[in-house]
Amino acid sequence: MPRKKYLNLLHQLTITQFKLKDQSAFLGFIWSFLHPLILLGILFAMFRHQTGQTIEHYAVYLLIGLVQYTHFANSTSRSVNLLYSMKHLTGNAIFPKELLVLSATMAELVELALAMTVCVIVAALSGITLTWAVLLLPVVWLMQFILVLSVSLILSCLYVFVRDIGHIYGAFLRLLIFITPIFYDKSFLQHGLGRYILLLNPLTYLITFSRALIIEGEPVGFEPTIFLLLVSSLLLVCSFKLFKNYEPAFSEYL
Amino acid sequence: MNQHSASISNGSWAIRVRDLSRSFPAQNSNHTLFRVLTRQVLNGQRNSNGFYALKDINLEVVKGEKVAIVGDNGAGKTTLLKVIGGLFRPTVGEVHTRGDMVLLRGAEIGMVDELSAAENLFLYSSIYGVHREKVKKNVDEIFEWAELKSFAHARLATLSSGMKTRLAFSALRHFDAEIFLLDEVFSAVDTHFEQKYLEVFEQQKSSDRTFLIATHDMKFARMFCTKTLWLSRGKQMAFDSTDEVLDRYMAAST
Repeated sequence: MPRKKYLNLLHQLTITQFKLKDQSAFLGFIWSFLHPLILLGILFAMFRHQTGQTIEHYAVYLLIGLVQYTHFANSTSRSVNLLYSMKHLTGNAIFPKELLVLSATMAELVELALAMTVCVIVAALSGITLTWAVLLLPVVWLMQFILVLSVSLILSCLYVFVRDIGHIYGAFLRLLIFITPIFYDKSFLQHGLGRYILLLNPLTYLITFSRALIIEGEPVGFEPTIFLLLVSSLLLVCSFKLFKNYEPAFSEYL
Repeated sequence: MNQHSASISNGSWAIRVRDLSRSFPAQNSNHTLFRVLTRQVLNGQRNSNGFYALKDINLEVVKGEKVAIVGDNGAGKTTLLKVIGGLFRPTVGEVHTRGDMVLLRGAEIGMVDELSAAENLFLYSSIYGVHREKVKKNVDEIFEWAELKSFAHARLATLSSGMKTRLAFSALRHFDAEIFLLDEVFSAVDTHFEQKYLEVFEQQKSSDRTFLIATHDMKFARMFCTKTLWLSRGKQMAFDSTDEVLDRYMAAST
């Protein structure tokens, strides 16, 4: 009975998040495509002749990386002040507050699915022969969903107590674009500290996965997929525990 | 301490509060990372020299009982309701409740200003377990009762505070919860609606739902509530039959 009640609430909250997003940016949907496209244009022009030489289908390669990075960056940074921006709800209504974060992440997931579908279409138009591997893309979305949800749970919870976390995270996101293989290939950083940073960055795997599925037309091995699923699930469990631990204090600090 | 006579354990309690105290830290406004960290280092024990909003509260409310909470501004009425609703943690003591709870605060309704009145109605009802389909069926009746039909698609921010309470209260009539925590629901409501509210309460008088109502309306308390809790500066002055407590309270405040 209570599970059904919260499923209904989650449904309603996800609709709410969509409506709020539409209002906050009039062309919100368009922007979520336009932003990576602008970045794509710049990066493509800058790196086409250097790093682009060694990478096949460099434009599609860039596009996939940018779409996934932008989705991660946008969704997580929107979640930072989620509990605060809805503080009338957080502070005065009795319900499990993780549903707020979950619903926002679900609304963002739809955008990722749409943007990635566009990636697939662009790939097909630019002469890449697609294989059945493309059908495995939802697995990547699921993993990215879990990652975004975990990070959002941590950030939204922290923001209640530490208000400048938004600025700190913004600076981190700017760094993240350079420590993720978006406009260069993983092999570019084979030695030293950079390699380990890349290996520790979960986005590296997610982007590599989708590139393999779309450009190379074959899935990454079974093992790395399971490994990443396990790691991200573990992260989710930890962040959920953290969130639930601090949840009773939210309305005292808002 | 004569309250202990009332807390003889029988099976039918809905709310049980034991030795509850709630303190708030003296200064709690600056939330930057630097401040939070230095505060952690400088004084390890939180809430050490704050003020007590509630001190040594003991009460047991039987299922189906209607309880008024009276006291001057700042007596701790809202804090008590929030602690019982699980939105504030007790600093000392325990709070137990049985059954689904609803919290309605006349001063700050748990709604989202950026959404329309109708969208808020769906969200608010979903939070308290009403299924979307059921809300859809009742939406006209709810707006009609609240006499807000022409405002259904207006942004909530454009409604006056009295109108917002009317909407929330109208929705609340369809809630299926067991415990209703109401905080100053009569404030900002005109006499016409006060009458309509009273009719609703009249119907609930013999229901098995538990009501905890913070109010300044003594006439209403005598009409609806069998028991009354009198708080003064966070202290429990009395918890007994309404007439007895109110006579003492009135005598004390003149």
